[in-house]
Amino acid sequence: MDYASPPIALIAVGLAMAAGVYLIAVLDRSIAVLVGAGRWTWRGAIVGPIRSAALLLVQRRRTTERPDSPGWTLAPALLTGLAAVALAMVPIGPDMAAADPSTGFVVFSAAIVFVMIAVFLHGWSPNSALAMHGAYRFGAQALSFQIPFLLAMLATALPAESLSIVDIVDAQEPLWNVVRQPLGLPLYLVVGVAVSFWGPLNLPDASDLAGGTSVEDSGVARLLWKSARAAMLVAVAAMGAAGFLGGWWGPWLPGPVWMVIKAVALLTLLLVAGHLLPRVRIQRFVVIAWVILIPLALVNIFVSGALLL
Amino acid sequence: MGVRDALAHLAGGAVAPVFAVAGGGAREAVAELALSPSVELVDSPAAASVLLVAGFLPSDLHTPLAALHDAMPDPRCTVSWPLGSDHGSMPLSSSRLRIGPDDEPVQAVTRAYRALLSGVVATEPPIQPDVDPNPWRGVGPYGQGGRGMTGGTPYGRPMAELGPDRDGLRLDVLPLSIGPFFPRFPAGLILDVVMAGDLVIEGRVADSPFGGGEWRPPVGPFVRALSEPVPVAEIELARARQHLRWASDALITQGLPAFAMRVRRLAVTLTPGHASSVRALSRRLRLLRVPQWSGAGVGRIAPELLTGLALGPVSRAAGLGEDARAADPAYAELGFEPIVARDGDAAARWDVRLAEAAQSLELAARARGQRTGGVGIVEGPRGRLGPDDSPFQRLQSLLPDLLAGLEWGDAVTALASLDLDPEEAGTVAARPSRAEAA
Repeated sequence: MDYASPPIALIAVGLAMAAGVYLIAVLDRSIAVLVGAGRWTWRGAIVGPIRSAALLLVQRRRTTERPDSPGWTLAPALLTGLAAVALAMVPIGPDMAAADPSTGFVVFSAAIVFVMIAVFLHGWSPNSALAMHGAYRFGAQALSFQIPFLLAMLATALPAESLSIVDIVDAQEPLWNVVRQPLGLPLYLVVGVAVSFWGPLNLPDASDLAGGTSVEDSGVARLLWKSARAAMLVAVAAMGAAGFLGGWWGPWLPGPVWMVIKAVALLTLLLVAGHLLPRVRIQRFVVIAWVILIPLALVNIFVSGALLL
Repeated sequence: MGVRDALAHLAGGAVAPVFAVAGGGAREAVAELALSPSVELVDSPAAASVLLVAGFLPSDLHTPLAALHDAMPDPRCTVSWPLGSDHGSMPLSSSRLRIGPDDEPVQAVTRAYRALLSGVVATEPPIQPDVDPNPWRGVGPYGQGGRGMTGGTPYGRPMAELGPDRDGLRLDVLPLSIGPFFPRFPAGLILDVVMAGDLVIEGRVADSPFGGGEWRPPVGPFVRALSEPVPVAEIELARARQHLRWASDALITQGLPAFAMRVRRLAVTLTPGHASSVRALSRRLRLLRVPQWSGAGVGRIAPELLTGLALGPVSRAAGLGEDARAADPAYAELGFEPIVARDGDAAARWDVRLAEAAQSLELAARARGQRTGGVGIVEGPRGRLGPDDSPFQRLQSLLPDLLAGLEWGDAVTALASLDLDPEEAGTVAARPSRAEAA
């Protein structure tokens, strides 16, 4: 498949990210209201996120004592860029992809690995104790989730015998990976939540750190960081739909519509889990990742490989 | 209208981000404020546009309050909500925005927020001068090098020093003071810790700033029961409400703010007929594994350390049946028996408090005019209360051993599970003087 021209790819990815971030804001508020037994209103759910974003645009950015200003500015931009790279690798139709290099899987994985740099930089830069603790935590978290995440993803490449995401989706025409590799999607979702540090695995920006790496953020910087986190969740959900739920394959509806439906369904699942599951203790997560998730991911790969022999 | 004005106009309709300082006698009112969809209580002053100062704040907290104010970004404003206390001597007393006894607090806060965004109210200047508490003696472009970089307190901040860690290595350790307005702790609670990475090496909670005799606290049913008989139904309803408020705060600590609002709504509208709702809530929380995931094995206190301290749910979660109600004839008539658990950890405290909340509502429903109290000791929601004797004071001595060696997240969970209330120390300390005044 040909690459989309850079300007079109850039605009398409930007629009997809903006739409995804807004959708997350709307869904998250709506789920929070339902879980909290509050009163859902159109104005609160649909217009509320726009008004809150406007406030952050008006708010002046404050600083701390002797911050690492370049790093502080760079961190949200880096996370946004990584989310954009990850999302650009996800095709929404057989001929609709911002980019489909033959090594799309590798590029996506590289973007995920670099999330650790962005989060650590974000916690390090304000010169603030609670933010720094958030950065430390994410170091432990990232070292634990990267291997199972990559292994869970790698298993999807085996049936396709290719590292191209389009090929991985194509290979699911007869049977989706969620059926072929029943361990794959649960593993992917658990570590996907950790990658985008959301819900029960939002350890670097956790409430026990009063916001962790973002405790000192205000104004535009806060808006960018929140948007970048949400964009990363969009990328994780979209790749989950492509890698495990058959991407654009589905009856009656056009392929891209199926792709969007599946991505939104995964996104909703992750957001609901974020409002119902308590924060996981970092010590427990590290143990679970190394003792349970990595062996399960290896079993998943071995079984997938054996079925192909 | 410029772009900035248009954005400000749009932002005026947003949920007002408020950093709330819930001082003496204001915790319940501030917690109820958070139920409004027009107001969001944020965790950091950096995220707030409105600083809400509610209730009484002792003079020791006035300087930290000024620093908190100055940590907010522009545009910012302060709303004063005295709730019967005197805000006159506070550093923010010049604030024109004040919630009076007849005002509706949510409306007052959102009105102040909109006035700020529309420019009707000007953003507030800093209170403290923007100068370094200690002269910086660094020489490099980032302040590195020079005298005072090690062993000193440049900028008033202690620097990391080398110290032993649990693996026998010598790593950086950093002394920190968390509070008095850390959002996961009650206002006034200051935790002095020495951290090695995410690990607490040492920790102690400072004395309550509310105990200095400056305060005339409002009299709740438990304090009233120290000196006069109070209906059992009233006491037990207040106990159930406090346990649910605690559960709501603990859920926020565990990253479940939406669920916390559900629990808080139940606490606000609680009646003796809600026992089944509380039991259903308890089942749902167990189903979601909230107590087990967050608290199993965390903050465990051995029963021998608790014997005789009468720390209410904390003691009973460790298997001790200490409860002043067990010796009260009014409760014997109602068939009261203390609820105990075995593990003595944060998860057991969840179980005991939720079970006690349901039990209290059942007692309140069964009570037919029975009264309790008037003998100088009462079983409060956090344990035995007496004149100049509060659970907060008795718990303080246990905290250093409890905190040492915990990850920071577990340390916060452990402290939250104890339901520390520095304000209670001031409440029982102020009681004799109020009696004298009477």
